[in-house]
Amino acid sequence: MTDPGTIGTTDLAVEEAFECDACGHRWYYTRARCPNCEGTSASPFGLGTGTVVTWTDARVTPPDVRAPNRLVLADFDGVRLVAQLAGDAVDVGDRVRFAGEYRLREAPGARGPRLTAVEE
Amino acid sequence: MTGVYIAGAGMTRFERTADASLLSLAATGATKALADADIQPSAVSSLHVGNMLAEATETQAGLANALVSWLGVEGVRADRVENTSASGASAVHRGVEAVASGTSDVALVVGAEKMSVGDTEAVTDTISRLVHAREYVQGITLPSFAGLVANAYLERYDATRAAFTEVAVKNHRNAVNNPVAQFQKMIDAEDVRSSPIVADPLRLYDCCPMSDGAAALVLSRDPGGVHVSGIGSATGTHAVASRSDPLVLESVRTAGERAFDAGALGVDDVDVACIHDAFTVLELLELEELGFYETGTAWRETLDGNTRLDGDVAVNPGGGLKARGHPIGATGVSQLVELTWQLRGDLPPERQVPAAETGFAINVGGFGNNSVCTVVEA
Repeated sequence: MTDPGTIGTTDLAVEEAFECDACGHRWYYTRARCPNCEGTSASPFGLGTGTVVTWTDARVTPPDVRAPNRLVLADFDGVRLVAQLAGDAVDVGDRVRFAGEYRLREAPGARGPRLTAVEE
Repeated sequence: MTGVYIAGAGMTRFERTADASLLSLAATGATKALADADIQPSAVSSLHVGNMLAEATETQAGLANALVSWLGVEGVRADRVENTSASGASAVHRGVEAVASGTSDVALVVGAEKMSVGDTEAVTDTISRLVHAREYVQGITLPSFAGLVANAYLERYDATRAAFTEVAVKNHRNAVNNPVAQFQKMIDAEDVRSSPIVADPLRLYDCCPMSDGAAALVLSRDPGGVHVSGIGSATGTHAVASRSDPLVLESVRTAGERAFDAGALGVDDVDVACIHDAFTVLELLELEELGFYETGTAWRETLDGNTRLDGDVAVNPGGGLKARGHPIGATGVSQLVELTWQLRGDLPPERQVPAAETGFAINVGGFGNNSVCTVVEA
């Protein structure tokens, strides 16, 4: 559990979202207060399986990022995020989950899982 | 109604690599606007500078203060406004408020950027760092967001890629006779289709260039010139995926409502619009968010030619970011320079939107992070 007021400085693992300790609302992108109830205390929540909303293959990428960089915007029961995809192309509506351990970019600490297609 | 008028407008040519320094570009833009207003620098009471990258390019810290002395207007109130790609329009907003409130009688608004200085990678990295830290770690860039949104647009509305192409072709065509545009070159659909993919489905010709340039306005309460009927700014979520829908740009919608409400005007009044087409898909999305077209239909309207110079509403008659160029801090100011020329009827027939009386501009910071809309009337 994070202390009140420290949400904005908490580093979570790539596959983790925030879950508000007060109302249970979940979100991905670090912010100081819960967007639902303005609560200031949250805990890490491990994301399960999500659905592809849209995707792109970025061919022109920063020098320390793979090219092409296949990116997916996925929805995990209302928690939305954009992350790198491992493996082959996916379609809108496909199911994905975080898996593996990759160097996402050369910057220090930029390691973590990529989204991976789930066979269902 | 703001009671603020654009008494003068001017800009440098936008180009890939300007010989002049950032400060010199800014001063040239300012001098052109002052000459157009036919006033001396000593009449200026406030200076508002829009710029994003002066520090990143190790060009000039304290840009507004340096410009004060360069222009010889020591004593004025001066500040610099940074709002990423909408730095220019945010500086306009600051200037309009200063004049409307009576704290400044004559505001000089200058937007300037020199992106060709230094290391392209460093400039690109600075721009890419405007995203959320959890987006940055994934290597996401602004073109990647545009690719994600463009695919969603095609899928959701059963739209065709040809509509993106038409935006690029149209905006290039509009810039052919614009002497201040970076690209005065006609392109055709095949040029777009054969250009390299940047972020699928978007190609190089779907993206605005990097540019050097400056644009400036003189604002005053003296009736005459073009009236700033309304101006409004609004923010959206920082992270793009935090939004309920990748095709929703809430800051665009809200800023538009604020500007139109302030001017007691609506989209139906607009004859000419400068839309922030950093990527072709954004021109379509913004036209829909602002209410020019129903959601999911701007692509068809564009293909039908309704956004051309002689269409229902002439969109980006100066070439937009796509062809006029996008020297970040100058862009929002240059949109109002273009609208001033259009509403005064200054332009040659091949550039002039017929009977243009009401103009609209939107400048967007980040990928929908912060939008500034302005409505002007002849």
